[in-house]
Amino acid sequence: MHDSEQDTFVQKNKNEQFCDLLEKIGIESEAKEIGSDEVEKGDYYSRNSTHSPIMVTNHGCIKIKNSNIDVVQIIQKG
Amino acid sequence: MHSMQDINPLPWGAQDRFQTHFIVKGNVDQSDSGFLAEAKLKTQGHFGSKKIIGVEWVGGNIANILNADSELADMIKKLSYDEACIWVDPTKNGVRIHGKWKSSSELGISKELFAVYDRIALHVKKNLGSPPI
Repeated sequence: MHDSEQDTFVQKNKNEQFCDLLEKIGIESEAKEIGSDEVEKGDYYSRNSTHSPIMVTNHGCIKIKNSNIDVVQIIQKG
Repeated sequence: MHSMQDINPLPWGAQDRFQTHFIVKGNVDQSDSGFLAEAKLKTQGHFGSKKIIGVEWVGGNIANILNADSELADMIKKLSYDEACIWVDPTKNGVRIHGKWKSSSELGISKELFAVYDRIALHVKKNLGSPPI
């Protein structure tokens, strides 16, 4: 008898998972190493934003190709 | 002796709430409200049948530019209510376009929503003085 589950699996970061979702809708993208993009170093919200939580966790960026969007950053509350 | 359980425990640490920021890079003054915008949705119906019948951008100069794009409005009307809640927010290294906080299971992107973000990014890019793609 064979188990239907695979013996091994590839653990993916949140940005790598989102990269796969983008690929499914035909958007060419590339997951970047956490902390490697300049947008991760500044504030994630403007001073006028009402959405800014006290603490956020950065899950890194995804470089988008052939789009007006340069990068996608995934953040988590807390 | 029984220990009393806290009925309102304080949330601590990372929560199951995620946000994806679609960023157009550029040097922006964070206090400049010109790149600040929020989509105010006009809807019809309730709950599952809630339908978007119109969108009005409120905020700085970018809101006026987005309001003038009727094709963008038509694209937003085809989105679900939750997807269509969109904010444009200027930060030091670029202008961020984002939606609501979502749980990890809700974290996704449709072709239609990406097209809306890309079109907003096009207007942002033009106004940052960068060549659009």
